[in-house]
Amino acid sequence: MKIDRRLFVNFDWILLVIVMAISGLGLLNLYSAGFNLASSRGEPLYIKQIYWILMGLMLMIAAFSIDYHIIIRHAYTIHAISLLLLFLVFFLGDITHGSQRWLVFYGFSFQPSELVKLTMIIALARFYKDNQIDEGYYLRNTLILLFIIMVPFMMIMQQPDLGTSLFLALLFFTLVFFMGIRRNIVISIAAVSSILAPLLWFIMKDYQRERILSFLNPERDPLGSGYHIIQSIIAIGSGGFFGKGYLKGTQTQLKFLPEQQTDFVFSVFAEEWGFLGVFVLMFIFLSLILWGFKIARNSRDLPGTLIAFGVTMFIFWEVFINIGMVLGLFPVVGIPLPFLSYGGSSMVILLIGIGLLMNISMRRFVLHP
Amino acid sequence: MLEKQNRLTDYDPGKFKRKFNVLLWLVSFAFFLLISRLWYLQVIKGDDLRQRSENNRIRIQEVKSLRGLIYDTRGTILVDNQPSFDVSLIPEDTKDILGVIKRFASLCDLDGVDLAKKLSTTKFRKPFVPIKIDRDIGRDKLAIVETNSLNLPGLVVDVVPVRKYVFGEEIAHVLGYVGEISAGELGDDYYKDYRSDDIVGKYGIERYLDRYLKGVSGGEQVEVNVQGRKLNVLGRVEPVPGLNVTLTLDARLQKICWDAFTEKAGTVIVMDPRDGSLLSVVSKPSFDPNLFNRGISEEIWGSLSKDELCPMQNRSISGQYPPGSTYKLFVAAAALEDGLITANTKIDCNGTFDMGNRTFRCWKKTGHGSVDLHRAIVESCDVYFYHLGEMLGVEKLAHYSKRFGFGSKTFIELHGEKSGLVPTKRWKRERFKEPWQGGETISLSIGQGFFLVTPLQLIRAYSAIANGGVLYKPRLIKRIVTAEGDIVREFLTERESTIPLHKKTLEILKYALWGAVNEEHGTGWVLKRKERDVSGKTGTAQVVGMPEDEEEKEREVPYKLRDHALFVCYAPRTNPEVAVLVVVEHGGHGGSTAAPIARRIVDGYFELKAHDAGLMVQSTLDVSPVSGISGRDGT
Repeated sequence: MKIDRRLFVNFDWILLVIVMAISGLGLLNLYSAGFNLASSRGEPLYIKQIYWILMGLMLMIAAFSIDYHIIIRHAYTIHAISLLLLFLVFFLGDITHGSQRWLVFYGFSFQPSELVKLTMIIALARFYKDNQIDEGYYLRNTLILLFIIMVPFMMIMQQPDLGTSLFLALLFFTLVFFMGIRRNIVISIAAVSSILAPLLWFIMKDYQRERILSFLNPERDPLGSGYHIIQSIIAIGSGGFFGKGYLKGTQTQLKFLPEQQTDFVFSVFAEEWGFLGVFVLMFIFLSLILWGFKIARNSRDLPGTLIAFGVTMFIFWEVFINIGMVLGLFPVVGIPLPFLSYGGSSMVILLIGIGLLMNISMRRFVLHP
Repeated sequence: MLEKQNRLTDYDPGKFKRKFNVLLWLVSFAFFLLISRLWYLQVIKGDDLRQRSENNRIRIQEVKSLRGLIYDTRGTILVDNQPSFDVSLIPEDTKDILGVIKRFASLCDLDGVDLAKKLSTTKFRKPFVPIKIDRDIGRDKLAIVETNSLNLPGLVVDVVPVRKYVFGEEIAHVLGYVGEISAGELGDDYYKDYRSDDIVGKYGIERYLDRYLKGVSGGEQVEVNVQGRKLNVLGRVEPVPGLNVTLTLDARLQKICWDAFTEKAGTVIVMDPRDGSLLSVVSKPSFDPNLFNRGISEEIWGSLSKDELCPMQNRSISGQYPPGSTYKLFVAAAALEDGLITANTKIDCNGTFDMGNRTFRCWKKTGHGSVDLHRAIVESCDVYFYHLGEMLGVEKLAHYSKRFGFGSKTFIELHGEKSGLVPTKRWKRERFKEPWQGGETISLSIGQGFFLVTPLQLIRAYSAIANGGVLYKPRLIKRIVTAEGDIVREFLTERESTIPLHKKTLEILKYALWGAVNEEHGTGWVLKRKERDVSGKTGTAQVVGMPEDEEEKEREVPYKLRDHALFVCYAPRTNPEVAVLVVVEHGGHGGSTAAPIARRIVDGYFELKAHDAGLMVQSTLDVSPVSGISGRDGT
């Protein structure tokens, strides 16, 4: 493959700077969150996170080096591999906290459900590339949509990981609505989901119901599920305007804050850096998302627009849901905060996503044969 | 193929422009929502939540104060604090809970299964809160546990200060004991500023002076983590130790009294008649207050509270006895003061006294013949006093009795004091709905019948005779001082009243009391020392009115029905400085049972006095050679 010189000229440095800035803050914050925690497996988590970032950066390079049109061409295959991995989880997966989500290769644990988020975007982009003209829904299309969303949704639900499967559905519908959808379909989806929603209540596990209830009223069980939300709100609020100072968050350092390296990592940041620090962080996140929209809008073709839009919305929804959750606006669901939460799969997948954004951004001037 | 190509080239990026504009607003709104919430939590509610985070991490732990010490009049420690060692287990600190328990049990010869059972029944505990597995293990076991601590992970030894009653049973009733505050006490207004796990005085001085002895708890502000484990001490307010108390008791004399009283049940009181100070108070049977320290066991408590002899009762203030012949002195005082008789008034005693259709006997069947007041007291002639009683009548007897402090509390600094009983016609009418019988006055005149006194009232009244008529409030507490020795409160001698007695009356009475011990036929002859310095009176208090004619030997009467033996005395004859009262429950005759005990106490008292004086001489002797040596060195 001949590499166009323009690719280097058009490389999206700004995007790289934004992502590195957030990841840097994330590492700093992770160091604080784990400051007083003795890691059970030797190395502290922030060191592990560095390894993951390095690995993610390499994959990011791969993701922007290969022309995304080639990726689109193999989109279904890529999605199929990702579904296969998801399927393997049922046989080989590690069980933690009562659910089976992880595949372990040579000591590295990997969460295929994270990968599915990304491959679903690519597969959907491919689907819309093939079906631009409103051709109506044939059986073939129905099967493809089933393959793209329903199969992974059901599998992740079975792990069980309600949060991630609902997130996948959310991301799917975001893209579908973006592309435009006929009114009667919207109505039928609304009707079906309003019937399914109460059913969902019954298939939910006890702990999941407990979370919803304690979201509605955190003081209901202050030492049980509500505990997380209350401690998180105390941590965030006690940071005040200027914060308690780096490594000085009492909620964090004394471990009152639950899951402080993963789902509640934002609370750590908010406690130690205060409103001022949080404002800066939010500003950087918003810049990233708006930059992503710009890339989507400037893409020369539909798949580029869709992938860029998909990846951007992927990041947006995770930021919005995670922060909303730790602020007590949403129930506690296991959605990580991009670039800040500890987690190899999430980090690597996000960096690959960023790589795709770069891929699209730097090829916006290239006309394809 | 061509069609597809067209589609690609046909792509118009502007097609999504409107949608992106809408999205921009939506995303910005979402961020605005989050920022608003953050502003609300961090800026508006920031101070509240910061307070809550402080509450989260900071706990206030009470640091208990040490209870004040109690000393005797000479500075001997009567009640001390000593460390007690409790063993607890923190299950989070060990992997092998059962193993640790088993090893501990085998090291200390305990039942491991029992301990494990105890551990498994402890539920609903917070993590890192120790579970108590054995209390007060003693120093030998402590040494074993300490040396094996490496094999006993999770096992911790807590040091808890407990009360040490140095003299055990000997001074139990005066000192009392302590225990954890009960639910009932917590509800009481008096204890409203106490906390639920406070140790409070339950009895005796420990109870009466609890507010002084208790001290003020300090506190420790500690930083804890989410498991409640103590990380740092942020601040500490030192507890203020309780105040120390000095009593008027003399531990040496107390021991003499304790040892002298070899009977089953009764009481001994030694008082300084010059100011009402109590030098010794013994009540038997007794209990060991040390047993109550760490919560008394059901078993011991059961045996103490069910014991027929009531070892928990302080007989010196709660026991009520007919005074028997010891009362005759006050009948004599009344008759003299009222001018009914003089010292020379003689009455003929033929052994009986008739009143209506009843016949009252003198203890001496053959009678005393013609006796004056002096001989009547010395030989304790009943008939003489029957006549006096008849002359005085019940109301006058009651009047004079009350003057001597009978029938009302002395307000000594102890709980549970009884007031005794001085019967009157009105009292009888109200109590029994029956009129007063003439014969009851006759019984009354020799201290039998309804009349009841507490031993403390009796010795106080005799002290008043000894000191010339001053009725003092019994004094048990000398002073209360801080740990540094600053006096907080001094308990001075309190005169309750001065009994209006003619000098002549006092002289007659005191001479008679001296005679009762030192003259021929004196009932208190046992106290006749070579110094001839003791004055005293015997008493025998009937428990049940025995049929007059029946001749029964003392030994055949069941214990419960036997008479109480009393003896009360003071010494020396002029300027008396010590008064002793002995009451032996169901002891028979005062002269034969109570008097020998009193003798040992009086002897002991003067030996102590001589010993102290010797020490004084000794110490002055000790000083002179030292100064001599230094003088020699100088030259």
